[in-house]
Amino acid sequence: MVDKSHTELASLKTDVLEMGYLARDMLDRSLEALESRDVALAGSIEEDKKRISDQDHEIEQKCLRLIALYQPMAKDLRTIAASMKVITNLYRIGRYGKDIAIVVPDLADAPHVGNLVSIPHMGDLVGGMVTDALVAFEREDLAAIHDIVEREEAVDALRYSIFRECLTYMMEDPKNITRCTNYVMIARYLERCGDHACKIAEKVHYMVTGERIEIR
Amino acid sequence: MGESAILETKCLNLWYGQKHALIDISVRIPKNTVTALIGPSGCGKSTLLRCCNRMNDLIDSSRVTGEILFNGNDIHDPRADVYTIREKIGMVFQKPNPFPKSIYDNVAYGPRIHGVSEKKVLDRIVEDSLRGAALWDEVKDRLYEPALALSGGQQQRLCIARCLAVEPEVILMDEPCSALDPIATAKIEDLIIQIAREHTVVIVTHNMQQAARASEYTGFMYLGKLIEFDKTTRIFEDPAEELTENYITGRFG
Repeated sequence: MVDKSHTELASLKTDVLEMGYLARDMLDRSLEALESRDVALAGSIEEDKKRISDQDHEIEQKCLRLIALYQPMAKDLRTIAASMKVITNLYRIGRYGKDIAIVVPDLADAPHVGNLVSIPHMGDLVGGMVTDALVAFEREDLAAIHDIVEREEAVDALRYSIFRECLTYMMEDPKNITRCTNYVMIARYLERCGDHACKIAEKVHYMVTGERIEIR
Repeated sequence: MGESAILETKCLNLWYGQKHALIDISVRIPKNTVTALIGPSGCGKSTLLRCCNRMNDLIDSSRVTGEILFNGNDIHDPRADVYTIREKIGMVFQKPNPFPKSIYDNVAYGPRIHGVSEKKVLDRIVEDSLRGAALWDEVKDRLYEPALALSGGQQQRLCIARCLAVEPEVILMDEPCSALDPIATAKIEDLIIQIAREHTVVIVTHNMQQAARASEYTGFMYLGKLIEFDKTTRIFEDPAEELTENYITGRFG
């Protein structure tokens, strides 16, 4: 019975990681579609929306079933509690990927302004934060997220810099307003994804150490 | 730990013949709280519990070193009266063990041997004790029926009432629910929490969920040693010792 509960707990972690890599993939592909103005690629992300939503429900149910059947304690309990929170953050990250993909068709008819400002760089930073938070979750080791606060600060600074840069393009030529407003929105989505990565890091920290911390 | 300790052991060691059953146990049991002792079979939890009111005196081969302080006084002091100690530190056992007498006589038994004979006083003690054990409403109309006719859960609450009747300060419970069904268990757990408002309860249990639900402090014992003692929430959410973690998550051996 005990072995069975531990096998199920391991399988729960695998499910969370699978959902995590889907969320990260949705975000990556949306940025790739944006950069290359690939409407078909952007369209494919819409299909993942249902998948990530199903995973969210299935994992939540699995967590509740594990609690009800095995009454887990200590780290086992913390792993389940962390998983239930982490999937909400992952779901939001996946949804932001979808939100970015939605605007790609509107931006696909002309070249990007200012080489898409710093959005690709910001996307790399945020994607790295999400991946490292998942690595920490998988390995139950905080090494991968030790500098997540600094990375989050860098992401915040980039959002502000993108906002100001977009303002200059909009002042230069009002035709840029629609396009640049979308860039500002996308930067905001990416910043939120960075925040969700931090929230995941907080939960992983709790899962590993039992101590609750707040990362900004 | 802020609360004052009602019971305290200092470097307590106990041997049953050659077997070293308790090893250097130092623990402070806070007053008017529920403290649970958990650990695998044979780890010494019941032995520790039985030490607290000198029940181990009844075993010839047992030998104790170290101190057990009750309200600051060593219970092994030659001047200490073992009967007074057992009056102030009562015990409830695994299997309900009412006397083959009426419900009333079971509860009145203790006060009577302590010299209470006036009917009115005894009536009041019996009613108060049965109310305190959440049994009064179920038995008030059949106080003179045999106690053995009650259900297992009721018998266990009767034993708790019998214990309360002599106004103890501490109640030791050795797996009080292991012979009961889940409903009777839930009633006893509620009762334990209620009793702890005015008494100190120390409970030995194999049921970790019970320890988690009913106690404020938990001690984990292993091979005669007290491995960890802390707030229950801490023990079950984030224990300090790996051994405790392994035990409560079932990763033992």
